[in-house]
Amino acid sequence: MDDLLADFVAETREMLEASEGEIIAWEADPADTARLDAIFRFVHTVKGNCGFFDFPRLARLSHAAEDALADCRSNRRSADSALVTAVLAVVDRIAQMVDAIEAGEDFPEGGDDDLIAALGNDNEDDGAMTAPSPLPGPVQDQDEDGDEDGNGAEPQAARRPSASSGVQRSIRLPVDLLDRVMSGVSDMVLARNDLGHRLRQAGNQPTIDGPFERLTTILTDVRDAITRMRMQRIETLYAALPRLVRDLSSELGKQVMIDLEGGDVELDREMVEMIRDPLTHIIRNAIDHGIEPPGDRLRNGKREIAMLTIAARQAGNTISIVVSDDGRGLDEEKIGAEAVKTGLISAEEHAAMDREKVFQLIFEPGFSTADAVSNVSGRGVGLDVVRENLEKVGGSIKVSSTPGVGTLFTLQIPLTLSIIAGLTIEASGQRFAIPQSYIEEIIHCSGKALDFTRVGEIALVTFRGNRVPCLMLSEVLGLKGSAITEGNRTMVLMRLASGDLFALAVDRIDNHGDLVVKPLAPAVMKTGFYAGSTLLDDGQPILLLDVTNIAAMHGLVSDARTRLAVPEGTEQASAAKNAQRAMLFSDHDGRLCAVRLELVQRIETAFASDIERSGATAHAVIDSTILPLVGLPDGPLPSDKLRLLRLSDGNSELLYAAREIEDAVELSSELKPVKDDPLVEAITLVGARTVSLLDGHRLFALHGEAPRTTARPVCRLPDNDWARSILAPLVRSAGYDISDQCAAPSGDSETSDLLILFEEDYEVAAALEWTFNSQVIRLRNLPQAAADDETIYRYDRDALLDALGKARLALGGKK
Amino acid sequence: MNDLIVMIQIAGRRCALPAREVQSVIELGTVTPVPQSPDHISGLTAMRSQALTVIDSRVALGFSADEWSTDSRAAVVAIDGHSYALVIDAIEDIATALGESGEVTGGFGPEWTRVATGMIETPTGPALMLNIGQLIAGPPNDGKTFAAAA
Repeated sequence: MDDLLADFVAETREMLEASEGEIIAWEADPADTARLDAIFRFVHTVKGNCGFFDFPRLARLSHAAEDALADCRSNRRSADSALVTAVLAVVDRIAQMVDAIEAGEDFPEGGDDDLIAALGNDNEDDGAMTAPSPLPGPVQDQDEDGDEDGNGAEPQAARRPSASSGVQRSIRLPVDLLDRVMSGVSDMVLARNDLGHRLRQAGNQPTIDGPFERLTTILTDVRDAITRMRMQRIETLYAALPRLVRDLSSELGKQVMIDLEGGDVELDREMVEMIRDPLTHIIRNAIDHGIEPPGDRLRNGKREIAMLTIAARQAGNTISIVVSDDGRGLDEEKIGAEAVKTGLISAEEHAAMDREKVFQLIFEPGFSTADAVSNVSGRGVGLDVVRENLEKVGGSIKVSSTPGVGTLFTLQIPLTLSIIAGLTIEASGQRFAIPQSYIEEIIHCSGKALDFTRVGEIALVTFRGNRVPCLMLSEVLGLKGSAITEGNRTMVLMRLASGDLFALAVDRIDNHGDLVVKPLAPAVMKTGFYAGSTLLDDGQPILLLDVTNIAAMHGLVSDARTRLAVPEGTEQASAAKNAQRAMLFSDHDGRLCAVRLELVQRIETAFASDIERSGATAHAVIDSTILPLVGLPDGPLPSDKLRLLRLSDGNSELLYAAREIEDAVELSSELKPVKDDPLVEAITLVGARTVSLLDGHRLFALHGEAPRTTARPVCRLPDNDWARSILAPLVRSAGYDISDQCAAPSGDSETSDLLILFEEDYEVAAALEWTFNSQVIRLRNLPQAAADDETIYRYDRDALLDALGKARLALGGKK
Repeated sequence: MNDLIVMIQIAGRRCALPAREVQSVIELGTVTPVPQSPDHISGLTAMRSQALTVIDSRVALGFSADEWSTDSRAAVVAIDGHSYALVIDAIEDIATALGESGEVTGGFGPEWTRVATGMIETPTGPALMLNIGQLIAGPPNDGKTFAAAA
């Protein structure tokens, strides 16, 4: 019984969380009855479950709410804000009762009738009578735990609605169990690597290699799934916010709209819990102090409804959450005066502080500028606690503000456990990892290309016309000198969150891949050089560099973005030159070509095995993205490694094969347009050689494709083995992604762009008058078609491909 | 009374660790050095899929690393959710403590007093009971100041 009860509590809570956002959305647009479904489902399930558990008060409340909502659904009454408030009150009461049930306490009597009356159901009386149908009246006084027996058949019937209501089934697990499973799987990966190593030493053994490969694949899948188990989308945190904002703003007589961004950012489950309170606090604070009453806003020429934006972003191994409002902003004078008054700082200290510093005082303990102590915030316990809690988990908080325009809180939180894309590099014989997100570009420094110079103690490289400071990783870490001379190292150009650019010189690039970042011991963290550690495939731990901090130690982070640039005049000159700069290379016909430098994104090296040239246009796989490839010779590939120029017009990308890449040059001579080769824009002279300048416009018009990983439309297939194993590959090769959901005849087909259905399913759907929001391809089982039939025989490959292609074109036109 | 203790040697002296705080004893594999970290942190090593911070106990006490040879085995302990491998001279035995740890008049010498919780009697004679947290913290003011974020 206890287990069942715990399930009930957990399920109720989950549905509660999920439906809160819906309620607010419904209030904003009471006519939107679709929103009602989630709320209706919630009260309905609660009602059903309480019947089973014998909680008559819960049953009565949920039944009354269900009645009211049912009336709205069937348009017997219209929803107004009074009704929403009443429904919310009932939902709240249900939540409180559930809490009490979990704690094993008795919930105080009374109050239910008022709530039910507030719903204003006409049929309140008969509602109360029919509600507890499985419950005879006298049961009410019985102890909640005393209903072990009886009602055996009811529970199944009562619980069924929840199972079929489309809520994803879930269970709750203690986090350390997850940790144990996770480290177990990581150990398995290491053991597998060890075994693989020994197998390679022992030579080829087909009988063992096959199963070993299978083990590897399975392990990768399991590892993936396990890692995802600990991660949670920040959406779960967002779900409760609309409600919070609604309640607070109506309490304080303000009008606030909330905008949530970046809900798909994932972070550690525990971390989600850790930031819940701080975030709530900041929102309370913003609504209470930051946002003005509607009257004041109108007077100041602002919209009556204030905007509160919460945006989450992942950058490397930190998540930043920005909470911004368009309220009155922080009052520097007032904060300063208050801080002096309460003795936080002296008047002299105040005079010496700049604006930003003064703002940060609001996080000091005991600070509050609220004129009146309100119910919501302003008791002097608040932002200091927020900062303390964030710092406890290694995070930080900052505030910036413009008077009259708004306030912006920036929370930085680390991911204790996170998978990030990273690069392993080597310096002085030791390997380190760098988060990929910082990396702007990697340049194999060959002396003159980067113009490596030393000015005083600082090293500089020239990157796209700007002088960029350069740090030697070996020097930064105090490692003994490396064998590679200064000018010959590899430069990793890194872009910090503040927009500053710097180069990090390393000996060589090792590898790139996903890294599981683990926290370091406090003594190591304190050095400020490292953000975490990660294990390589061979089980060796390496350190993840704290790029931002290393840059900060060397004074490379500027708040005001005072960039170290070439003096203004020269910068303009070089900008003007840039417009005429081109990358010089010889193509596979031996012709000397140039392509404008703005188009060149980077130079890639691809193996022949990554190149696929069966279609009309060849394609190559670069970093698991399929890109069109132009400029290949007609015959067999000249070598097993190809140099490719990756060109981009901002949206789509393509690769141009080069036999030899020379250098970036300036196009100073006259450009002579040519007509005979469509891909050549003009012919010009570089030095004494003629060069064909490629026509970027034609190139992209003919061959440009957006990288396929992002642009594939989604297709839903029928739910059977044939579709999964035989149809799916064909559909995929036609450029579609296969949806996880199958194309059962149902109304909700918005999640896909194309639907493939068997004729019989389609007929069912048509009979039910479902409308399809996406395109539909209908399949028939027999080769013979009925007259004027729009179906396609399921093995008619050409017709199928044709239909898929047409659908894709139509989609392309739509987007 | 009959708490189990792990008998170890650090810098030639017999010490004891509470057995419940020692998770395991591992053969120390490759240690990845951590540049710019305090001297008593030898680096990182992997225990299965976990990264351990390797602490050189001799240096953590303020002794020189060259004076005493160390065991290839290390004791694994966890403090505040972080795991450490303690490099020590030798791991001797597991024994039963004969009584509570107690003070000795005059102390154990400055290095030892900082990390010791007291002297404890064991079947093989007296040993110094160590506070692992203090040991890992390393020598006070170990001469380095770390550049804080500017």
